[in-house]
Amino acid sequence: MGGRQGFGHVLPLTAAPPFAEPWEGKAFALALLSIRAAGVLAPAFRYALERVPPGDYLASYYHRWLIASQIMLADSGVLSAEQVAARAARMTGADQAEPEAPELHKPQMPSGGPGNLRTVDTPPAFAVGDRVRTADLHARGHTRLPGYVRRRTGTVTAIRPAAIFPDSAALFEGENPQHCYAVEFDSRELWGAGAEPFRLSIDLYEPYLERVT
Amino acid sequence: MTTAADHIDPAVRAEALASLLIERGLVDEAVMDNFIKTYEQSVGPMNGAKVVARAWTDPEYRGRLLADGTAAIAELGFKGPQGEHIVVLENTPDTHHVVVCTLCSCYPWPVLGLPPSWYKDPSYRSRIVREPRAVLAEFGLELGEDVAIRVFDSSSEVRYMVLPQRPAGTEGLSEEELAALVTRDAMVGVAEVAAP
Amino acid sequence: MSDPRGHADAAYLLDTSGPAAPPRDNGELVFGAPWESKAFGLALALTDAGLIDWEDFRQALIGEIGAWEAAHPTGAGWSYYDCWLRSLERVANAKGLVETGAVAARAAQLAALPPGHDHDGHGHDTHDGHAHPS
Repeated sequence: MGGRQGFGHVLPLTAAPPFAEPWEGKAFALALLSIRAAGVLAPAFRYALERVPPGDYLASYYHRWLIASQIMLADSGVLSAEQVAARAARMTGADQAEPEAPELHKPQMPSGGPGNLRTVDTPPAFAVGDRVRTADLHARGHTRLPGYVRRRTGTVTAIRPAAIFPDSAALFEGENPQHCYAVEFDSRELWGAGAEPFRLSIDLYEPYLERVT
Repeated sequence: MTTAADHIDPAVRAEALASLLIERGLVDEAVMDNFIKTYEQSVGPMNGAKVVARAWTDPEYRGRLLADGTAAIAELGFKGPQGEHIVVLENTPDTHHVVVCTLCSCYPWPVLGLPPSWYKDPSYRSRIVREPRAVLAEFGLELGEDVAIRVFDSSSEVRYMVLPQRPAGTEGLSEEELAALVTRDAMVGVAEVAAP
Repeated sequence: MSDPRGHADAAYLLDTSGPAAPPRDNGELVFGAPWESKAFGLALALTDAGLIDWEDFRQALIGEIGAWEAAHPTGAGWSYYDCWLRSLERVANAKGLVETGAVAARAAQLAALPPGHDHDGHGHDTHDGHAHPS
């Protein structure tokens, strides 16, 4: 679906969710706002959560959310863990100097476009009419290439819109958008000489394909 | 690895997950209920039927629909989740199209609503890409030997809708009357539109 | 509303009109039972709030369906929304929205309630102050 911009509804921050402590409500709201402040998308928050160091004092999951928000903001150079620690110390009365803000380096992700559709700077590797062969991605465990079309030869019949390549969207490496192609296979190529005659068209991302000469 | 958690009655599991998320303020119950109501009542194949009827009666609209399905469908006010990129496949006397999502259940919600059970069923998803003619016959659609079949597997962001052939004997019908003939099954490709 | 296998109660499906009739579209049910619609609504509400990513959910669903199919070669007992719900729980857990075991614990609480209770989303720990029909 990926319709992040298509929905347009935001949970009202004035709603009163039953958090155990007020700071938990703040942690929740800050997580959502930090995603935007860091210039990233929701998958980056998941990635940040995974990088929260384990420890007894982090048993509370809203505390983990706070740390994850800090990680995202630090990744984008919006603010540093040292700044947060210094501010916390000052708020409890310590006379601590706050360090300079880090250098801002938010990822250059486009903010527009519906859903997961994106533009790619490099031109498509394949053109309509090209013969292509699909990879065998068993080892990588990725499932956007169904088993029945692996290691088969077909023809590109259309260029589809480039989109976020799903298995790289979670990492803080950008969305890694990839070109996508409608590839048509003859049924006999997929199922053998005795198969019903028909044509099968499926949309495949560029990393799944190689040119056949 | 199965655990005790795996044997929870799904109705109870749904209630458990919903109550936890709502209590924590992560889900607004009114938003949830509104989505349910929208897809139960407001979004459905009656939308796609209007698109088909318009294409049958307006050749220029048909041209736009085949060139850019998303934009032409949006002209009639239909857009939203799972409709960010729709490609319309035109059936002709010598080519019949049918759509599937073998991996899960991808379906063009803005024009057809939510997919029916049979579309999501493992038997349809596995058989339609292997023996479409036989599966269509089981749906009651017998295609002539001279009709080529093209099966489309929705494996990316693109969603597909079939533009079925206009049945003979409908020349005098209005757009509204034509829309009433168009079924969901015809827009998935497992049926043809019958004349009244 | 559902039998032990999670399928909709047949009697529920038989009402075709009136206030007890489930919603239908194009001549058939959109959802087979209220819990299915709840699972659907939850996924959309969470995505709408930006708390889960639809593509993550879709990948989890693909994985769940694949795992189910591998374990059930004849396809018997297929329940699409059961796969959907398990996937949603997995993604919600991965995002830190519900802790591991929280859903099972809440489910056990709900299942232990006497019949006739309707705790739709309120999740009380005690029953003080409730008026129960006798």
